Amino acid sequence: MATSRAPLESQGLPGWLQAMPFGLVFAAFFVLPLCFVIMVSFWDYNEYEMIPAFTTRSYTESFEGCLADLPNLCTMLATYLSTAKFCLIVWALTLSIGFTVAYFLAFYVRSATTQMVLFLVCTIPFWTSNVIRMISWIPLLGRNGLVNQLLMSAHLVNAPVEWLLYSQFSVALAFVHLFTFFMVAPIFNSMMRIDRRLIEAAYDSGASAWQMLTNVIMPLSKPGIAIGSIFVITIVMGDYITFSVMGGGQIASAGKIVATRLDALQFPPAAASAVILLVATMVIIGVLNRIVDIRKEL
Amino acid sequence: MTKRHKNAGAGVTRRNLLKAAGALAGAGVVSSFPAPAVWSAEEKVLRYLGTAVNQSDDITKKVLADTGITIQNIVATTDDVTKRVATQPNSFDILDTEYFSLKKLVPSGNILPMDAKKIKEFDNITPIFTKGQLPDGKVIGDQGTAPKKVMFLEGPHSKTFSKTETEWVTLIPTVYNADTLGIRPDLIKRPINSWAELLNPEFKGKAAILDIPSIGIMDAAMVVESMGKYKYPDKGNMTKAEIDMTVGVLTEAKKAGQFRAFWKDFNESVNLMASGETVIQSMWSPAVTAVRTKGIPCVFQPLKEGYRSWASGFCFSKGTNAKQQEWAYEFVNWYLSGWAGAYLNRQGYYSAVLSTAKANMEPYEWAYWMEGKPAEKDIHGPDGSLLEKAGATRDGGSYDDRMGNVACWNAVMDENDYMVRKWNEFIAA
Amino acid sequence: MNEGRPLAFYGLAAFFALFVLFLYGPMIVIFILSFQGPGGGLTFPMNGVSLHWFYRLWEGGGIVDIAGAFRRSLALGLVVMALTVVLSLMAGLAFRKRFVGSNALFYVAVASLIVPSIVTSLGIAIEFHVLDDLIKNYAPSWIADDFTTSMGQFTSGLGAHLTWTLPFGLLVMFAIFNRFDARYEEAARDQGATPWQTLRHVVLPIVAPSVVGVGLFGFTLSWDEIARSSQTMGEHNTLPMELQALTTTVTNPDIYALGTSTTAVSFAVIAIALFSISILNARQKRHGSDAGQA
Repeated sequence: MATSRAPLESQGLPGWLQAMPFGLVFAAFFVLPLCFVIMVSFWDYNEYEMIPAFTTRSYTESFEGCLADLPNLCTMLATYLSTAKFCLIVWALTLSIGFTVAYFLAFYVRSATTQMVLFLVCTIPFWTSNVIRMISWIPLLGRNGLVNQLLMSAHLVNAPVEWLLYSQFSVALAFVHLFTFFMVAPIFNSMMRIDRRLIEAAYDSGASAWQMLTNVIMPLSKPGIAIGSIFVITIVMGDYITFSVMGGGQIASAGKIVATRLDALQFPPAAASAVILLVATMVIIGVLNRIVDIRKEL
Repeated sequence: MTKRHKNAGAGVTRRNLLKAAGALAGAGVVSSFPAPAVWSAEEKVLRYLGTAVNQSDDITKKVLADTGITIQNIVATTDDVTKRVATQPNSFDILDTEYFSLKKLVPSGNILPMDAKKIKEFDNITPIFTKGQLPDGKVIGDQGTAPKKVMFLEGPHSKTFSKTETEWVTLIPTVYNADTLGIRPDLIKRPINSWAELLNPEFKGKAAILDIPSIGIMDAAMVVESMGKYKYPDKGNMTKAEIDMTVGVLTEAKKAGQFRAFWKDFNESVNLMASGETVIQSMWSPAVTAVRTKGIPCVFQPLKEGYRSWASGFCFSKGTNAKQQEWAYEFVNWYLSGWAGAYLNRQGYYSAVLSTAKANMEPYEWAYWMEGKPAEKDIHGPDGSLLEKAGATRDGGSYDDRMGNVACWNAVMDENDYMVRKWNEFIAA
Repeated sequence: MNEGRPLAFYGLAAFFALFVLFLYGPMIVIFILSFQGPGGGLTFPMNGVSLHWFYRLWEGGGIVDIAGAFRRSLALGLVVMALTVVLSLMAGLAFRKRFVGSNALFYVAVASLIVPSIVTSLGIAIEFHVLDDLIKNYAPSWIADDFTTSMGQFTSGLGAHLTWTLPFGLLVMFAIFNRFDARYEEAARDQGATPWQTLRHVVLPIVAPSVVGVGLFGFTLSWDEIARSSQTMGEHNTLPMELQALTTTVTNPDIYALGTSTTAVSFAVIAIALFSISILNARQKRHGSDAGQA
């Protein structure tokens, strides 16, 4: 029987063969296009078209003034600093909210069906296209929006609160809104793998709920936290739509630099900016992976 | 893999597929593929790439009824349209894009000019495009990428713009307009008559400009000139020093909190204005109309320094064959024959051939939209919605008043690369 | 965990409720504004109350090809969902075994999350453009003559979506298989189960709920994806692209009506799904498999 169903059954498929379809998708639709992008980033260009001749101009011009203007920040540094700041804020917020939600779902909701339902309840808002949801932030947070109307009718404020929209606040809020769930999913799955007997044991030996949380659950959820962090950090670093729409186009981000260049059809510098972004973010992820090896305990 | 037999379109394939019986059916494995279909002489399909401004169900239906051509609309945002031209010339047959993009698109070799001889109404196209003047001969502003500068190519496959009129037209004009500031008179409560007001601290936190660098900087240049700070030799083609200075003015205003938001889409500009987030911003004419139809006062304010203008038109993809080009000519000729022109005029845009559009509009409509006269009857939009009550006059007045006061055109500058870099610096400031 | 539960439970439940309220904030606005009067816009103030925009939506008036785009997005989303589940499950299992190139594959998947979607989208577009040229110039004439483009929703479009959903799928799989107790598998093997049987009857039932979650994740990501789609869908737009394009002219609340309808339908579908699940569960209990009850 083992031979008749070959090769799945023989010794189990070798790992590389099992990962092959996954790898092929990325080879065809990511690695190859990325090679085009890297190639183009080294092309020359004039005002109107690309010239296929090797130059590092797109890179040197991207970093223009970064050394000369010190201590003032050049565009590149200022942009990355601003992006990194949002990354940190959004990461901290999504982590604390996401962890709490996952903790609730994993340890306080008992039936698998209820867990599934609550997951779905959290997913449904995302089935209304983001294009529509983005528009609805104005009537929610705007000068004459729902929130301001509530605040004013409750006499908490006298004049509409302006920083609710088109501000750093609204950008961070939208990110938390969009991406907390990206934190919940992996942390929840990590928590579900925690052996319930461990918790019983800790409880029996007199650990308080808080001690249990900090000494048992948190350390054991680390891989999930790391995975969620990868999601949030990578997306925020590369985002431009949320920055643009929620920041009223006035907040710089690494992704927006790329987008502005692309929209102006300046492909080589756009490609170079994308490569710079990739390298910068890869370094962050590399460090993160050093701290928590998410593949260790598979 | 998409494979089309003689360009039969997806809309008619199912029927034909049945006719074709099993012979070809195997190839259409997934129904969403434009499945292969049997060639039939009547099938005329054009894939039309453009922004939603010019694409509407009404036009598509009318074209089919009048010419038998099925238009497959591919709608995208302005930026995505140009990107698609650059990367996927095979995904469309006929393109509708803005003149200022031409400096970028023509060198790519992905679009082909149209032959003026095959355009019936070509000689009746408003001289704004061919000569840079109004029908009555008045010369209008040509700073920036004025259509006349990029209207003609030296040959059918040339990538060089011709200074004189030739047979090879880069874009057959469809629609154009003159942009200015839109304001909320109910919230501003005083007359506005200069571009300088955009950066007036009085409207701190309530102003907006376009988040498209090449256009945003032109708006800023209009402001700089009207403040009397500097007079540009050509706002549409600045030197590096001029770019630095203009961006400097913008940066200062941004740091002082002048801008509520930068907008990119038609609907963003409407929502900003309608919700009261902004009270003064650069805007398009139909956007102002859209705010007004919601019962909110909004004025498309004529300013003493004049308008910033734009225009768009049709050309082919390099991927088209002779047959498709014939249909494209048929479609463009239909477009200029009046029905579409009237449709555009009723939205508040302007059509390229005025005479044919006039023949398709009621005299009172023409008087309101084009002659700047008070409306004799209620004015309705193409979708039948009430735009203005009888007695209203159009902001900015007649065609000649508005197009005659164009100061500059949307542009791609020679220093475009530098300008975009500076723009990113401005955003990061 | 039973003792001491009430206080913490209610606190956390309240937190969760607040979180859900926050998630639904924009939906509430969409819901309210979809009942705008005929003269109303996309923002407050309300201009009367009516069902006008639902009628408009129903008639298809004003909106170019929303129904077609809806169907295309749904088809694509379902295919993406299935492939995401299968491919990332396989890859997840592979990563448990360690294999040559696993490190590279991991970082490629992460890189795919980082590179801005619009860049990936353009890269794929250029790739297919090159492919088109190759086919036109070098393929036998019976292919090349009638050939238009190799781009399409289920070629370049599908690929673009997978580069977005698969990294999420894979990493969530990591969380799922994290500290997965290998003794289940050993036990199965000791009793003479083949690897396939072990997977089918032991591993899959345990991870099934989480794998369903991955599928849901994949569908949602694909359904809402716009930047990667922008240059890769060929001649037919997906739903978000169509909506995005519409926002360049349309400022009417019919798109809110669409949002409200989508949500209403989603709730209905889920209610039905729940009902079926509860029936299935009841059946499973009768047939008795205790896998996954760890």
